[in-house]
Amino acid sequence: MEDLSRFKQTYFDESAELLAVAEAGLLRLTPGTADADEVNAIFRAVHSIKGGGGAFGFTDLVAFAHEFETVMDLVRNDAIPITTELVDTLIRANDVLGTMLGYARDEAPVPPGTGDAVADALRRHQSAPPPATDAGPPHNDLDAAFAAAHAAETTHPDDEDDEAGIFGDAMAAILDARNPSAAAAGRQRWTVVFRPRPDLLLSGNEPAFMLRALRRLGEAEVECHLDRLPGLAELDAEQLHLSWTITLLTGPSVDRERIADVFEFVADECDVTITADAPPPAVPDAAAPLPDALRSPSGPSVPAAAAPPPPPATPEPASRPADPAAPRAKPAENGAAQHAGLTSHTIRVDLDKIDRLVNMVGEMVITQAMIAEHVRELPPGEFQELLEGLEQLAQHTRELRESVMSIRAQPVSSVFSRMPRLVRELAGGLGKEVQLVTSGETTEVDKTVVENLVDPLTHMIRNSIDHGLETPEEREAAGKPRTGTVTLSAQHRSGRIVIEVADDGRGINRGRVLAKAVEKGLVQPGASLSDEEIDHLIFLPGFSTAEKVSNVSGRGVGMDVVRRNITSLGGRIGVYSSPGEGSRFVLSLPLTLAVLDGMVISVGEERFVLPLTNIVESLRPKPSDLHGLVNRCDVMMARGEYVRLVHLNRLFGIPGATEDATRALVVLVETEEGARLGLVVDEVLGQQQVVIKSLEANFRRLDGVAAATILGDGRVALILDVAGLRDMSRQGGSAPPRAAAALPAPEPAAV
Amino acid sequence: MSLIKWSEEGGQVRLGLPGDLDLPMAQPLLDSLRHALSAGGDVAVLAEGVERVSTASVQALLVASRAAAEAGVRFVILRPSEVLVETCDDLGLASWLNRWSQS
Repeated sequence: MEDLSRFKQTYFDESAELLAVAEAGLLRLTPGTADADEVNAIFRAVHSIKGGGGAFGFTDLVAFAHEFETVMDLVRNDAIPITTELVDTLIRANDVLGTMLGYARDEAPVPPGTGDAVADALRRHQSAPPPATDAGPPHNDLDAAFAAAHAAETTHPDDEDDEAGIFGDAMAAILDARNPSAAAAGRQRWTVVFRPRPDLLLSGNEPAFMLRALRRLGEAEVECHLDRLPGLAELDAEQLHLSWTITLLTGPSVDRERIADVFEFVADECDVTITADAPPPAVPDAAAPLPDALRSPSGPSVPAAAAPPPPPATPEPASRPADPAAPRAKPAENGAAQHAGLTSHTIRVDLDKIDRLVNMVGEMVITQAMIAEHVRELPPGEFQELLEGLEQLAQHTRELRESVMSIRAQPVSSVFSRMPRLVRELAGGLGKEVQLVTSGETTEVDKTVVENLVDPLTHMIRNSIDHGLETPEEREAAGKPRTGTVTLSAQHRSGRIVIEVADDGRGINRGRVLAKAVEKGLVQPGASLSDEEIDHLIFLPGFSTAEKVSNVSGRGVGMDVVRRNITSLGGRIGVYSSPGEGSRFVLSLPLTLAVLDGMVISVGEERFVLPLTNIVESLRPKPSDLHGLVNRCDVMMARGEYVRLVHLNRLFGIPGATEDATRALVVLVETEEGARLGLVVDEVLGQQQVVIKSLEANFRRLDGVAAATILGDGRVALILDVAGLRDMSRQGGSAPPRAAAALPAPEPAAV
Repeated sequence: MSLIKWSEEGGQVRLGLPGDLDLPMAQPLLDSLRHALSAGGDVAVLAEGVERVSTASVQALLVASRAAAEAGVRFVILRPSEVLVETCDDLGLASWLNRWSQS
């Protein structure tokens, strides 16, 4: 059972990728024109999901996928035209398939009626041409059926695809979509002779499952031998008299052991021989027997003479039947080329294993910091070799950290690729003309960040299309092109990822936003707010300017949720808007949620970590550099510009810190938006890699604090959020310490 | 357990296969096939409702088709379900099914 679960997991993983392949392909389908490769890729994806579903007995899923696949088959045969309505139906069908896969994964029954409407729509599309397969012979006249059954070969719609097998087909579809050139990668040809004992069925084993499992390893050509079949009168229904020879084309990653694994549970109930037709890398023998565990206890494998019609020792590649749907099936020309395939460069690794690795590297970083802390106490000039070794260790630790983090990194394209569909649906629903421009899809960021970007980006794009962009008529009247543009971009900046959602719409209507905020009691009547402050009102909980509630937006649960989601990821969001020109939402997120380079500072007895990427410089100001603004804040002249001073001791209520900035140090920091602050601290203790421990997960969110960490001496320190400090300092000015902002002692934070 | 539906019309026997053709159903299926073929008329097996099928049941159909051919009796598997088609493909029996089926 455990083995089956593993296969199921693989099926679900691959199906998720196939759904994405299908959706991307469907979104590119244009009425009137069809790229045959694209259509084939979609067909194969659906077919593979269906095939795997059948193997696991997901009957509802299989039935639905069959309708979907039938329509795709008609499309690829040019039997029905590609229309907008058809594409919409197919996209919805892909969704239903995803939903059904979700139920299957959760081992939940598919609720009655799921996908019925879409299935009906699919059938309507099928009914346009008169496919012969639907008709069938009349029950009361079987002559035609008998005649047809005994006439020339009939064909099944799946014939040309079945050779690749369920999972082999799935993987091929994914590979084709990602890298067509990989399809022709090197292969290994195996011949497997599978001869079950007659009583194999009685132990609950099912040969079809094993043959299916073989297909998952590559492209299988299965030949069934009937020579032992008794007559009808002699047949015992529960005794098996069939045997098989399977010619298997696999990628280089499949070895003899993986093939033998398929028969692991029937080792005592069958004879199996696995023959490498071309020399495999390690064991260049011609016909090696199974590993001991798979041998029959009663003797060796069936000798060639006793076996069913033996396969040719070195089958000619050209003898394989042509497979129009699988040009990838070309066998490798020589042994050396067989191992150059792309498939050997990737492996599927359980996420838990990676996370354990990340955690261990984090602990290693802490340990290295602790050692570095102790080494500082050594007498100067001594233990030079030890110091050099530790320096090397630090460097290697850094490289290891970066390598490990890159394993978790994923391109944001997985999120961006969902947006064209959203835009398409929203534009259709709102009667607007919208084009989506994306850039920086290959920008990589931590998997957790990527996964949590979907909802915020969806909200923001909805917001841009619903509120930001005008109708085509309004745009024309304003002298703009009828089609509005939403731009979605990603880039690395200052050690973070910055994602922008911009539109060229009407911009934020500040008068309306302010009036709405006053009406909802979010702002006092008559309050004087800057443009920037008004723009940020849209992030307040419950704020919405939509006149009517629709399923697109207008429930006031959008942008505040966006900000909360982004903040929980250690990120920030900013909005920039110009009336009549459009709006720009800027998300700034950490690249990794695990480790960062920081500067340890002290304020009173407390220690904090400032992300290195935020720090510009540290300096000790002269009295003439400092200026006070009445009832506002202190500012400092630094490099020709005034910078707001933030006294961390006041902000967090820390006693015993140096109040006078001219006696303390000012660390000049910069937010991602370019705003500068001067943080007044007692000391700058040094640079250190720190392992990020989530405050939200272990304690609760604190303003101005991004996360916590453990320092080399074992103390807990808070990692400061510079933009958060800026917001806090704006609200509190430079007034004396506020009780409300007092920081809980860091030590109790259970991280 | 769903049953194999038996009907006769004009000397032709029709066997309606149940959704579940697992191992325990192989023997009833075999008995039905023997009985149908022994009648000497044409035999049509309606397979559109098959949702699960065991190798044992496929084997029974296979043996029956051979027996029919030897006896000169007409035999057809009508509208094989997707599951049956795929299982036969898995078992390397796609061409056999093509030969004996009519969609």
